[in-house]
Amino acid sequence: MIALGQQIENKFLTAVNRKSGSNILECYQCGKCVSTCPVSDFMDFPPREIMQMVKLGMKEETYMANSMWFCLTCAACSGRCPREIDIPRVMEAIRHLAIEENVNSDNPKVKQIRIFHEIFLDMIKHYGRNYELRMMAEFNIRTRNLFKDMHLAPKALLKGKIPLGHEKVKSAKAIQRMFRMAEKLEKTK
Amino acid sequence: MTKLTYFPGCSAHGTSEEFDSTLKLVMKSLDVEMEELPDWNCCGATSAHVMTENFALALPLRNLVLAERLPNKTMGIACASCYSRMKSTKVEMDSHPELAKKINSTIVEEGEYHGDVDVKSMLQFFYEDIGTDAIAEKVTYPLKGLKIACYYGCLLTRPKNVTQFDSPEYPMSMDRIMEALGATPTAFDFKTECCGASFSISDTEIVLSLSGTILEMAKESGAHAIVVACPLCQSNLDMRQPDIEKRAGKKYEIPILYITQLMALAFGYPMKDLMPAKHIIPIEPALAHIGEEIETPEEKKKPKKAVTAESEVE
Repeated sequence: MIALGQQIENKFLTAVNRKSGSNILECYQCGKCVSTCPVSDFMDFPPREIMQMVKLGMKEETYMANSMWFCLTCAACSGRCPREIDIPRVMEAIRHLAIEENVNSDNPKVKQIRIFHEIFLDMIKHYGRNYELRMMAEFNIRTRNLFKDMHLAPKALLKGKIPLGHEKVKSAKAIQRMFRMAEKLEKTK
Repeated sequence: MTKLTYFPGCSAHGTSEEFDSTLKLVMKSLDVEMEELPDWNCCGATSAHVMTENFALALPLRNLVLAERLPNKTMGIACASCYSRMKSTKVEMDSHPELAKKINSTIVEEGEYHGDVDVKSMLQFFYEDIGTDAIAEKVTYPLKGLKIACYYGCLLTRPKNVTQFDSPEYPMSMDRIMEALGATPTAFDFKTECCGASFSISDTEIVLSLSGTILEMAKESGAHAIVVACPLCQSNLDMRQPDIEKRAGKKYEIPILYITQLMALAFGYPMKDLMPAKHIIPIEPALAHIGEEIETPEEKKKPKKAVTAESEVE
């Protein structure tokens, strides 16, 4: 954190600004984003507070927040922001920086959300497409909650809502190559 | 005959088969030839852009490049999430040529990106390329008497600089299409609220809370059914509705229909083509309202007793 009267370079703010393409200093803390956000109740720090934390250079505290993991990218906030800050992209920038710097939150909900995204990504990497039933099953196994949503399964399967078959893109290999290349790009930045 | 490249997305081949099949019927009626994008891949929504930067752009870019190989100038996308990923990638690539070049290097074999294929959601395609007049012309079974809450969700009209379509706060395109079919759209304030889409599996509590409010408001607007144009909204509002009812301690029993199911019905396709068995909340009771007389808002506004000047003074 910076102390008053001192000029310290706020590297965290610069990094978030560069990654998100927004200037967070523009935020004048009106709170419109908070009242608009459908999930601000679930966040430990609502968007307005996250903006202020970035301005103050509170890097560790921001990384440990659950807010950027709960952001739905629904863009309701940015549509109403009087300073036209692309708030979902700011959230995304913070998330990506936290991942890059290997900061992991202990919050059990955040852990669950990350597991879900990891399974989803693995699925795309292997098959090129998403396979819903397998994803639900793997999520239950990896979060050790085998019976989650099981009450929905008989009805959903019976109605053919969730197909049992697999679909694979012909060039699943191309996707795997794409992923390796994209990862390399990320490192050479 | 209009030609359109079709991007179905993973759910069209999975949870939203009824969207895919009625879409094909409707396009046939509207004289649109749809060609499915060969060898398309997942757009990455929502996980790719949560966890990665370049891969999240490369996945949609591959589809955009593949689409350029076809002669069609527009690609119509069934799923709102896929649409959002593809359109935002297109906007990003078109406005940052340097970045486009960089991301393009991950898919050398597919070819180079030029940016000459337009990306539209099916709703946008119906509204802009077909138009409500042409839709109304095809109606043989008007849905008169059916009160509908049009639910757009977040991604079909937001963010504005990406979608460049309709209003991000109170869109009306789907309402106008419903009117063209003869149905009556209700005044529904929650039409662009988020259903919690991406948390359907990882944090169900959020979905139950957000989707619950949407059902509550739709019911309050007097709608017999909700119409959607996104498979994620549909499955959250339909499949999770019994759980939402349990949580709220009340019954909504409001079916969630795809815009193409209602279009197919109005175009004269039989009920069985709508695949009613796919729905968790049965659709038949709501559709039984078709043919009923509806009080117009003007009639409603009229006071039952004539207000005289004297009574007003009182």
